[in-house]
This record gives sequence, C-alpha cells and structure tokens, in this order.
Amino acid sequence: MDQQTRDDLLKLFQGKLNEAMRFYLETCTRCGVCTEACHVHASMGQVKYIAAYRAEIVRRLYKKYFKGRGKVWPSVGEAKELSEMALDELYDAAYSCTGCRRCMVYCPFGIDTQMLMSIAKLLLVGAESEPEILTLLADTSIEKGKSIELFKENFMEGIKRLEAKVVSKWKMEAGETAIPMDVEGADLLYVALAGAHSIIPAAAIFNAAGENWTLSFFEAVNFGAFVGDPTKSKLILDRIVNEAIRLKVKEVCICECGTAFRVMKQLAGKQPFKVSSITEVHARYIREGRIKLDKNKMDGGVTYHDPCQIARNAGVMDEPRYILKHLTDDYRELTDDPRYNWCCGGGGGLVAMGEDTLDFRMKSSRVKVDQVNATGADILATACENCHAQLDNLNDHYKMGVEVKFLSSMIADALVQDAQP
Amino acid sequence: METLYYIILVPMVYVAFATFFIGTAVRLIKIFREPSHPATLQIYPEKKPRWLWALHDTFLFPTVRRHKPLLWVFLMAFHICILLLIMGHLELFGEIETLQLIPHEIFLGQGFVGLIASIALLYFLFRRFISPVRELSVPEDYYLLILLFLIVLFGSQMDWARRWYFYEELSVDHYREYLSSMLYFKPYLPAEVSDTGHSFMLVLHVFFANLFLMFFPFSQLMHSFLSLPMNKLRRG
Amino acid sequence: MSDDIKVDKVFDLKGLPCPMPVVKVSKGIKEVEIGQVIEALSTDPGALSDFPAWARTSGNEILKTEQEDDVIKFYIKRNV
Repeated sequence: MDQQTRDDLLKLFQGKLNEAMRFYLETCTRCGVCTEACHVHASMGQVKYIAAYRAEIVRRLYKKYFKGRGKVWPSVGEAKELSEMALDELYDAAYSCTGCRRCMVYCPFGIDTQMLMSIAKLLLVGAESEPEILTLLADTSIEKGKSIELFKENFMEGIKRLEAKVVSKWKMEAGETAIPMDVEGADLLYVALAGAHSIIPAAAIFNAAGENWTLSFFEAVNFGAFVGDPTKSKLILDRIVNEAIRLKVKEVCICECGTAFRVMKQLAGKQPFKVSSITEVHARYIREGRIKLDKNKMDGGVTYHDPCQIARNAGVMDEPRYILKHLTDDYRELTDDPRYNWCCGGGGGLVAMGEDTLDFRMKSSRVKVDQVNATGADILATACENCHAQLDNLNDHYKMGVEVKFLSSMIADALVQDAQP
Repeated sequence: METLYYIILVPMVYVAFATFFIGTAVRLIKIFREPSHPATLQIYPEKKPRWLWALHDTFLFPTVRRHKPLLWVFLMAFHICILLLIMGHLELFGEIETLQLIPHEIFLGQGFVGLIASIALLYFLFRRFISPVRELSVPEDYYLLILLFLIVLFGSQMDWARRWYFYEELSVDHYREYLSSMLYFKPYLPAEVSDTGHSFMLVLHVFFANLFLMFFPFSQLMHSFLSLPMNKLRRG
Repeated sequence: MSDDIKVDKVFDLKGLPCPMPVVKVSKGIKEVEIGQVIEALSTDPGALSDFPAWARTSGNEILKTEQEDDVIKFYIKRNV
C-alpha cells in the first residue's frame, strides 16, 4: 500500500474518532468476558470471532497511528501497520460481525463492537475493498431518491395491482383506496420494502384499523448503513425524511426491517414526525381496540425471534409479546432475557450479500438453531426481513421443521372483519 | 548505590507523579473534547434512573458476576484492595487527618489486603496464559500485571515484616518523614529509609510504582476513568 | 415472452426477500455477454423502481417492462 492511500485511509479513521469511539478504543482490558457473547464464536469456536479480538484488529491500527505510544513503543500493544494484510483482517472481522451488539451485554465497560467495526467498514470503503454488492445496492437506493419522478408512474401501477390482494384480507367500503400513495396530510407514512409481502399484510391491517395512511415511494432498508458509509446512509435516510416532511405526516412507520428502523429512529435527528416500528403500531391498534384478532388461526407453539436492531438495540420488546398473546395461547420464549437472544446470523449486510455468505451464515448460526429447537415451537415468528430471510435459510439447511413467519402477516391472517368500527 | 537509591526515591518519584497527573489530565481532556456520538448507544430494555444503574455497572461489574463468577470474586477483591491500599498510602501523609475520623491504624487490612491483592494479581496473570484470554492479551496486559504484582509484593513485604515478623528498624514514622518532605518539595531521606536492611524493598516498591504511574495514562488502565462514562452510554 | 426481443437467459426472482432480486440480477447479468439480454421475473412491486434505478447505477439498460397479473417482466440488456 502506498503512502498516499494509507494517509487517505487514516484520514477516514480520524473522522470516526468521536468521544464514544475513543472510549471504546482506549479501554478494553482484554478480560475475555465477551468470549461467549458472539454467536459466530459460539458456533465455530475460532478465537478470531471473539468480540475483543475483532475490536483489537481495529485497535491495533489506532495504537499505531493515533497514540504516541505507537511511535515510541508499538510492540507493547502489538500496534500494527496499515497494510493490505491489515485490510484483509479488517474485512474478516467486519463482515463476520452482524452488529448485533450482544457482546455489549457481556462487556464490563459496554464496548460497542459494531461501532468499532464501522471503522473497519469505512476503511474498506476507502480502499475500495468492501463487498461491491452492498455499495451497488446503496447507490441504487440513492439513484432512486434522485430520479423518483421517472419511476413513480410505473411503481404506482404495480402497487395498484396489489390492491385486490389487500382487499381479500380486509374488505373495504366502495370508493376507498386499499393502498393510498402520495397522500398529503395523511397521519402515517408507511415505509415498506420492495416485496409484496411487506406491503399487502401491512395495508390490510392499516385499513382494518381505519388508519389515515399513505405508502412511501421508497424502501426502508438502508444499505449505506450495512456498507458502513455514513454519507450514503444519510442520503438514503433523507429520501424518506423529505417525503415525510413533504406529506406533512405525523408518524413514520417503518416496516419489518431492523436496520431501517434503528437507523431511522436513532439517526434521523429531531423531526416533526415520530418514528415507530410497525410492531409498535400494531400493538397500539390492539390496545386501542382498533383491530381484533382471532386466536384460532394459529396451530402449534409459537416462538418469537427478537431482531437485534429492533429489540436489544432499539427497545421494542414488550410490543411483539403483547401482540403474540392476542394471536396464540401457546407462546414460548427463546430466552429468559431478550437481551441474550442469539442473533439470527444474517445482520450487518450478510444476508444482502446472498449466496456468497450462505455457507458462513449457516455455520456461524448453529447456536441460533439450537435455541429455536429447544422451544419445540412450530412457528418461528419475527419482525425483520433480514432475520426472516436468514431464519428461512437456517430452517432449510438444518431441517428445523418450523414455519418462519412475519409477525405482521400473522396479524393480517387473524384479522376479524366484523370488529370493524 | 546511595545515588541510585536517591534517584529512585526522589527525582524519579517526582517525574512519575508529574507524568501520571499531567498525562492523565491531558489524555482525558483530549478524549472528552471529542464530539459526542450523534445517536444513542444504549442497550435495551432500559432501567431508570440511568445514572444509578451506570454506577452499579461500573462498580459492581454485574456482567462479570453473571458470566465469569470466579473472575468476579477476584476482580471485586482486587479493586476493593486497591482502594484500601490507596487509602493506606494517603494515611502515610500524616497531614491528612480526615482519614482518621474513625481512628484506626494505617493499612487497616493488617497485611491481608496486600496478600489478597497479590493472589488476585497472580490469578489475573495466570488466566492470561490460558486460551482464549491468551490470544486476546497483548504484552501491555502482562507487563501491567507483573508490575502491579511486584509493587504489591514489595510494598506488602514491608508491612508484613513490621506486623508479622516484628521488624522495627523501618517504621511508619520514617515513611511519614520521607513522604512529608517530598510533599513540601524539601526532599529528605532519613537514614532508616535508605540505609537499613529492608530499604531495598522500599526502593524496589517505589521503583516499580514509578514505572507503573508513568505508564498509566498511556495504557488500558485508563479504564479507571472511562468505565463510568462508557457504562453511562450503555445505559442511555 | 415479448416477440421482438431475443432473450438469452431467464431469471426467476419471484417472491424473494429484499434485496435479493437486485442482487441476483446484478450478478446474473454477468452470466451473459455484453449486448445480450436477460429476462427477470419478479413479484415485487418495488422492483418497478428498484430495477430502473439499478440499471442507471450500473450502466445497464432496461429494454422493456411488462406487468401481467402478479408477475412483472423486465428485459434487461447488458451494456457493461
């Protein structure tokens, strides 16, 4: 690696050094309490998958270039030069970490491995060594934001075609639109994903609850966050923020997508609207009696996988359980304490990288499979597209024999029509 | 030899304390002047009041208790011992009377505090030789533990000698005389301090402590100051 | 299939989770030569804006889009 490249990369590193990041880089005592925290280490056993080890890969560069010690006595902290080999190590550490932050629950100091890995991811972007596909997806999202006018018509026509399916789940009065779009002054802007499965059940439930809602032109997921590029994350986020402001909505509701929810909720800053996950909105409808559910639609035991970015990292834990109590009498917890739920193994962009990571994703998530199997449940519910895709893969690979379902589609299927107000 | 003793007991001590105080202050100021992270970094579910839980996490190490109970016992013992030892040393400055509000002898642990701390340090050190902590550890971690062990060992030796073997040549009053002179920048080494049978222990104790203090601001020991703000971040 | 377009490879992307349709298409298009055409079948309404945005980003060209009942057909020419 030439000096110019190295300097450029170190500038990127420097840019990440805020107060919290300094805490995390200065503090680790390498006590090893985090050893059991990572699902990859628990499933595969290699030391390189222990949180402290991953963190140390970034920290070694910090010790070399951002501490006086690195010049005087680098070997005392095993400080390391930024080289091609270091980049390979960074890739290995960052793209085997799903950013689930389970290790943060173990660390006596609360070191955030996901934060430290964001340095690794940014350096990889700088060195053009990041997974290309994630950048392509992020660029596609940004392009869509820029030229939405070109695609709008086509997209709206495609959405129209879904309306019959929405109506089949929830009958509407004549003259009502099953999937309203571009409605100025709507109360709630629903930000979905590209797939029909993320629009149809949600639409039926909004209509059942009599919500004054409108569907966003954009998909919720933020690939910029996966690839660790803060500029792109912001551009992708802004598309939705701008749409919400333009339509003057009171609430932005994010579909079942963990990253999308956490990024929107925690990074959007102060906005004239509130940000909710669709699970929170659904729990609210049940609590307020706006929708009624039939408990007899579900056969067998149901367990719920807490998506890391929605539960441990954003606090939506009680709502899905409240909903499930209205869907089944046989609900089984995966863990006594949702903070300790194993990550599905698909976060951090790993699922989005598709078949390239499939083998690793299967091997690294054995503990998740054991955890689900131990409940003996027949239905494995979750509220994140990413988790759902990964759990589906695990179900096939390990022949778990469960049915992986979205919480929202379970609700949509259990809607009782005569409860309409 | 006398010159060496003098260098270690007088100028080096000043240098060590200066490095420790200035180094720590400068580094902390630098860290705390960085912009704060734009988003919350907390882990849910949250418990209130947050600052109280952050204090709980910082001083009682609940995550270690849950996941590594044996380590927790040693960690708690060690950190309590360190606190007691710091107090004992402050009492060697006769000027600080507040510590004697409830009258007790200096080093109220009767020698056992040092003993427990040494055992804990040996435990910390040896667990670093066992996988996976071995792979995680870097030289700094070993050096610090070895340094601390030597400091505690030689320091405790003097206390043990006094209490358990009735060695009386080097007494508390001599330390007080020495430390008081250092405090007022009129360094004076009583002959008992620099020229008795156990002087070498004192010199070694002080020497290793000097090294430790000089390394402190640049090492992972900064966790002493950063643990609380970090735990606060996790609690939100 | 559209009569006037010669398709070299077909990709069935129906019902895939986000963001697999775009991922598969961007990988799949490398399986044909530059100038050749692939047909992608999707059930995602989001693909109607995702695919054109992807094409603009990646420099490929969407020749035609057809919507039939549930299925959306894209004819994409590899340009790069």
